[in-house]
Amino acid sequence: MATFPGEAPRGSARDRAQSAVAGLDWWLLGSVLAASAFGVYVVRVATEGDIASDPGFFFTRQVAYTLIGLVALFFVLRLDLEWLSRYVWTLYAVLIASVGIVLVLGSSARGSTRWIELGPLRVQPSEIGKLVIAFVIAVVVVERIKSMDSARLSLVVAGVTAIPAGIVFLQPDLGTSLVYAAIALGILWVAGQPITHFIVVGLVVVTLAAAVLYLLPAAGVNVLKPYQVDRLTAFVDSGSDRSETGYQLEQSKVAIGSGGAFGKGPSGATQTINDFLPEHHTDFIFAVVAEMFGFLGAGLLIALYFVIIWRALVIMRSAATELERLTAAGISAMLAFEVFVNIGMNVGIMPITGIPLPFMSYGGSHTLTNLAAAGVLLRIGRRGRAAAPVVA
Amino acid sequence: MSTTTPLPPDLPPGDEPRRPRRRRRRPPRSVLRMASFTAFALVLFGVLIARLWFLQVIGGGDYQERAEANRLRTVVTEAPRGAITDRTGAPLVTSREVLNLVAEPQQLEGPEGVAALRRLSVALGHPPGYFSAKVKKAQEARPFEAVVLEEETTPELQAYVEERRSQLPGISLQAAYVRDYPQGSLAAHLLGYVGPIPAEKAKEYEGRGYLGNETVGRAGIEAEYEQYLRGIAGREQVEVDARGEVVGRGVLSQAPPRPGETLRLSIDMKTQKALEAALRAEVQGSGTSTGAAGVALDPRTGAVLALASYPTFNPDVFQSGSAREVRRVLTSPSRPLLDRAIGGEYPAASTFKAITAAAALETGLYKPGETIDSPGSVVLYKTRFQGFNNQAHGVITLPEALEVSSDTFFYELADRTYRTQGWPMQDWSRRFGFGRPTGLDLTEGESAGLVPDLAYKRQTCDRKVDPINCSWRPGDSVNMSIGQGNVLVTPIQMATAYAALANGGTIVTPTLGRAVVDADGRVLRDLVSARALRPLGLSKDNLEIIQSGLRRAANGNGGTATPVFGALPERFRVAGKTGTAENTSGIDHAWWVGYAPVDDPKIVVAIVVERGGQGANSAAPAACAAIGAYLGFGADRCGTGAKAN
Repeated sequence: MATFPGEAPRGSARDRAQSAVAGLDWWLLGSVLAASAFGVYVVRVATEGDIASDPGFFFTRQVAYTLIGLVALFFVLRLDLEWLSRYVWTLYAVLIASVGIVLVLGSSARGSTRWIELGPLRVQPSEIGKLVIAFVIAVVVVERIKSMDSARLSLVVAGVTAIPAGIVFLQPDLGTSLVYAAIALGILWVAGQPITHFIVVGLVVVTLAAAVLYLLPAAGVNVLKPYQVDRLTAFVDSGSDRSETGYQLEQSKVAIGSGGAFGKGPSGATQTINDFLPEHHTDFIFAVVAEMFGFLGAGLLIALYFVIIWRALVIMRSAATELERLTAAGISAMLAFEVFVNIGMNVGIMPITGIPLPFMSYGGSHTLTNLAAAGVLLRIGRRGRAAAPVVA
Repeated sequence: MSTTTPLPPDLPPGDEPRRPRRRRRRPPRSVLRMASFTAFALVLFGVLIARLWFLQVIGGGDYQERAEANRLRTVVTEAPRGAITDRTGAPLVTSREVLNLVAEPQQLEGPEGVAALRRLSVALGHPPGYFSAKVKKAQEARPFEAVVLEEETTPELQAYVEERRSQLPGISLQAAYVRDYPQGSLAAHLLGYVGPIPAEKAKEYEGRGYLGNETVGRAGIEAEYEQYLRGIAGREQVEVDARGEVVGRGVLSQAPPRPGETLRLSIDMKTQKALEAALRAEVQGSGTSTGAAGVALDPRTGAVLALASYPTFNPDVFQSGSAREVRRVLTSPSRPLLDRAIGGEYPAASTFKAITAAAALETGLYKPGETIDSPGSVVLYKTRFQGFNNQAHGVITLPEALEVSSDTFFYELADRTYRTQGWPMQDWSRRFGFGRPTGLDLTEGESAGLVPDLAYKRQTCDRKVDPINCSWRPGDSVNMSIGQGNVLVTPIQMATAYAALANGGTIVTPTLGRAVVDADGRVLRDLVSARALRPLGLSKDNLEIIQSGLRRAANGNGGTATPVFGALPERFRVAGKTGTAENTSGIDHAWWVGYAPVDDPKIVVAIVVERGGQGANSAAPAACAAIGAYLGFGADRCGTGAKAN
């Protein structure tokens, strides 16, 4: 393993283990581990009946993903961002190249593909790209914030974000491209860009949404695929929607609602185990929690996510350098956006955009990415604490 | 952040100091930004919690029901309706198993299901949206229940569905039962027919434990004995997954199907067939007749041996006929659905003379053996009343008057009742059961008939045009004595009245249902023994006088029906009375009522042939055929009608 500049010199194995965890934000680490463990458990109970020949199929894989993610988390704890910022454009180029390859392969394979096959592994570059884009934007802003006019800076960031986000959108993966946008906005916000910029972005988003969903189709131009329009509009009135998406959302609401105050327990959650709720181990895993453990369990899970976001923000405030602060801002925005949009789509107040629930949903790439992101936050927190031991 | 300039000491921390443009982005501002970030996250998570509260705590019950509806499926196994047999157990109506094309609506959600229904609609020659619309409509009425797409599928359709099982998810063939009529239209009126529960009675049936989609008895015996005949569908509740496959504990609750009981009627199929054939022959042979009806009872018990009405219909029309065929039956001017035997009201005519005779004898207005001059016409209260064909019969006794059916003899008796206190003819009419339904176990469709009295006259007269008609006048008594005027009776009433004359003076309650039996023929419930019997109150001597008159009318030298019955051997000796009812149509209705064998009556028959002419010509031969079928002699031993009244 490479030694990064600024790291403590190597000592005994025990010293190394101690130094690896010393000074970490235990609230954040504990919450992330709790969410991951709970996620593994829910994946297990939700999918036991899915593959008759192998009841543990999803469970064993999610355990493996989580372990790999934890390795990544502890690896990232040693990663010096200042050092890494030297290679920022290389990272950016690799990101664009990898999502570009997926787009090309996907279009030749007819339909949507988000993965690159690497032997037995399927890597989803756009997921890992979330961390990359957060870091790239943070570097871009830190390097230019004093030398560049604020409007120009916002435009540069918009451009840097739009290239990979646009490719991901074309894969098509609308949800992940929106996460990229959320990361950029979070960093620009914390960087102190003028509020007018955000108002302009808001207006552009509203106009675009209206154009893409209603105005352009009326004029015969279809930017989104029909299923994407379904997904985006289904939450407005899922009951009347006879499409697959409307059915999915309706079943999710039935699952959540039927959980009641205290839930139906893992064996009584018939919406999940009888398969009425599709995607119950991935995008709709929150509905499974709500069905099995009711308002109490689902509310506690939301509280757990709030603890994660709260610690991310505390870490951001105490960051030692501007680069770390903005990187933490990007990760915080990413996590908050993903949690809100995913749960929002489960409960029917947000469009269905295919964003997984961090630390909970089944899937290798996003589990790895989110645990690595937690590692980045933990490192930033430790360095911030070391620089200013008294944390407000 | 080594580049940060320390705050000027004169400013309180947190306040934004004024400084040159390139130094604007200072920590205090970013602290504000970070705090707002946190606040924003808190608001978003608060929204999620609020929404969750709304879904789970407030809306929980509703969603729990919907989750149950997803999970639970009720498999309904139809139960056959009970058979209806004649008195010997020979089937009149049975249930036949068919395969219906059925859709499970929950498995048809989504584009695949829509496509399956569309394919099926087109394959069966319907418009593409036909079955989708059918399913949607049925779902509104009964959500989550299987929908019958097509009843009684053909073998071709069954093969089509079986071969395409995998392409037609949620579509299957399910066993169901339909009514089968091995005897065709025989006894159609009394059997009635079956059909779906009418919308306006849905609540009432629901209260009696029906699901709402059953086929129920809608008329006749099918409706009257619904409680025994109905099969109770089996219901099995199973847990299913999203693909509709049974999962988990499988069957959660189970109620096996219970077939309906077999109902044994008192109908004698031979007699019923003979009666129906005879009525049809009379109507078709007359050229003028619009219909006919007949009743045969066992005078000792009231058991109905035959009950027929013509024109008739095929009860299968209501089950599998087209809308056009049903409409034709419902709206035909010949009114085939009207059961004339119990719902047809006719002037009783001379058959009523036996009742007048009973009234006169019992009130002492006529003394046994008394002779009365019976000319062709009589003048009473300055009005000339003519007898039938102005025929004079000389000085005769009551039995002789019944034999020849003298009208003027009864006019004299009518005058005596008019002069006396009270209303003997009305009283005795009611004792014989006229003026109200007999209580036959076909409660729907039986008419009351009419026994005219002063109250009736007052009700129906027009005080301005004809005030004198608002009183009971001698002519009313005269008309009533020969069963004319306003007297209206049904064939079943007439048969019941004559059954009392035949059985020695007991009014029986006519009964079609004999017993409820199980599959092995064991009697589960006796339907006859509980039926009411009522003494007529006619003395034995007086009864014998009337009986002798009726015997003479069928056998004596001057008997009106002697040409029909006179040649029968002693063991089949018949007694009975003809009637020729004047009515507004201009052509008389023909009546015959009587019983046989006279010494030990086993059957009483009442026949009316609308616009059939004279009773002996038209009604008596039909009665003779029915009696012969029951007692065991051929219709060839009956004569054809001749002179009559």
